[in-house]
Amino acid sequence: MNFQVYNRELCVGSIRVIGVSSSSVLIVGDAETIQQSSIFDTPAESLIIGPFVPLETE
Amino acid sequence: MFVRTSVVDHLKVDALSHSSVAEIGDSAFIHCLSRALAVKREEELFFTNEGSFRKYDVFSMPIPMEPIVERMTMQTTNLKPIIKVNNIDILGASAASVIHIGSSKHIAMEARVKHIRQLKPDIILGSDGTQMFL
Repeated sequence: MNFQVYNRELCVGSIRVIGVSSSSVLIVGDAETIQQSSIFDTPAESLIIGPFVPLETE
Repeated sequence: MFVRTSVVDHLKVDALSHSSVAEIGDSAFIHCLSRALAVKREEELFFTNEGSFRKYDVFSMPIPMEPIVERMTMQTTNLKPIIKVNNIDILGASAASVIHIGSSKHIAMEARVKHIRQLKPDIILGSDGTQMFL
C-alpha cells in the first residue's frame, strides 16, 4: 500500500479541555506512532458489602 | 521537510498532577504508565499503607498488541510547515498524562485502573430489637 499525505494549512482558533487523565495525551504536532492501551476493572467481586476492612497489603 | 513546527500563541494549564508533563518542544520517545487502585467507601474512612498492585491481575496481565504485518509506504508532503493554535486552556492533567506542543516520534501510553467499592451492610431491626444483616 502506498499512503500519500498532503498537509495543507492547519489553523485552530481555541482549544478548551477540562481534563487530560489516565495516560492520555494531547498533542499539537506530528507523531510517527501513537500506541495507547487501557485496562479498567470493576468486576462484581469488587463491590464489597460488609464491615470496612483495609485492602490486603503485600 | 519532515516535521512541522507547532505554534501556540497562548497556553494555560491550571494543574498538573501525578506524574503529568507539559512538554513544549519536540521529543523522540514518550512512554507513560499509570496504575491506580480507586477505592470508594460509603463512609470517609481511609487506612494508610493499604492495598497492593501485586494482588490484582489487572496490573500485571500482558496487553496483547496486534503485530503490523502489512507492508506500507507513507509519503508526507508538508505544503504548509506550521500547525497553528491560537489559544489552549486546560483545567488539569493527571495520572501520567502528557500535554505536548511539538512533534514526537513514538508515543506509547498505558493505564491500568481497578475500582473497588465498599458499602455498609443494610441492617434491619426486628420487632424484638435483633439486628439482621442483608
